[in-house]
Amino acid sequence: MLFFRSEDDLGAWCRDRGVKPGPAVPVPQLWRLSRGWYGNRLDPEAPRRTPGEARAIFAGVGLTGSFWDPVPRQEATP
Amino acid sequence: MPLETQTRTAILEFFAETGIAPTPATVAERLGVDVPSVQRTWVRLREGRAIVTGEDGVSIRMANPFSGVPTDHTFESAGVHYYANCAWDALGIPAALGRGGTVRSHCANSEEPLRLKVTENGPEPSDWLFHSLVPAVRWWDDIVFT
Repeated sequence: MLFFRSEDDLGAWCRDRGVKPGPAVPVPQLWRLSRGWYGNRLDPEAPRRTPGEARAIFAGVGLTGSFWDPVPRQEATP
Repeated sequence: MPLETQTRTAILEFFAETGIAPTPATVAERLGVDVPSVQRTWVRLREGRAIVTGEDGVSIRMANPFSGVPTDHTFESAGVHYYANCAWDALGIPAALGRGGTVRSHCANSEEPLRLKVTENGPEPSDWLFHSLVPAVRWWDDIVFT
């Protein structure tokens, strides 16, 4: 999980490695994700996150689709 | 509160206070319990992915968002220097701490340094991008690579 200063840099980095780029996430969106994911990390009462809750955090900041799904749909518990 | 929860919390609090990973002995002393009890809990935390240990099975490599080993992604706040596991965790640390500071990293392609000021309300305006090569479902296949 890395930073890039631009889409061009991300594209060049992926081309050099022969890999397909994943989604590029702008810094403001990454901050919202970080708040949702880690905002209660130091709270001893914070419950262990379920895959569904993780999926909801991603979706809540606009990160949707199979790339951001922590559990394949067919394996997800209801 | 179960010892596992106490231990997990003590590990994260130690990271938050010092920027470095605690040992089982440090946590045992902090909790007022014996070291073997904490060592047994260490194993359960590792199995539950609350921590990732080094090859010795004891030293903490990761307690997300904190890294127990030096990395290229850091956060500095209130005189404490933190290592993050990745670009995401570099913002995850201020989110967890709820306080501002400075994130430092670099562009993986150009090596241009990134210096990003962060307040408790978020980072200063930036058009940099975060990228994960690995989809979420495979992050824990090799969490160190991820």
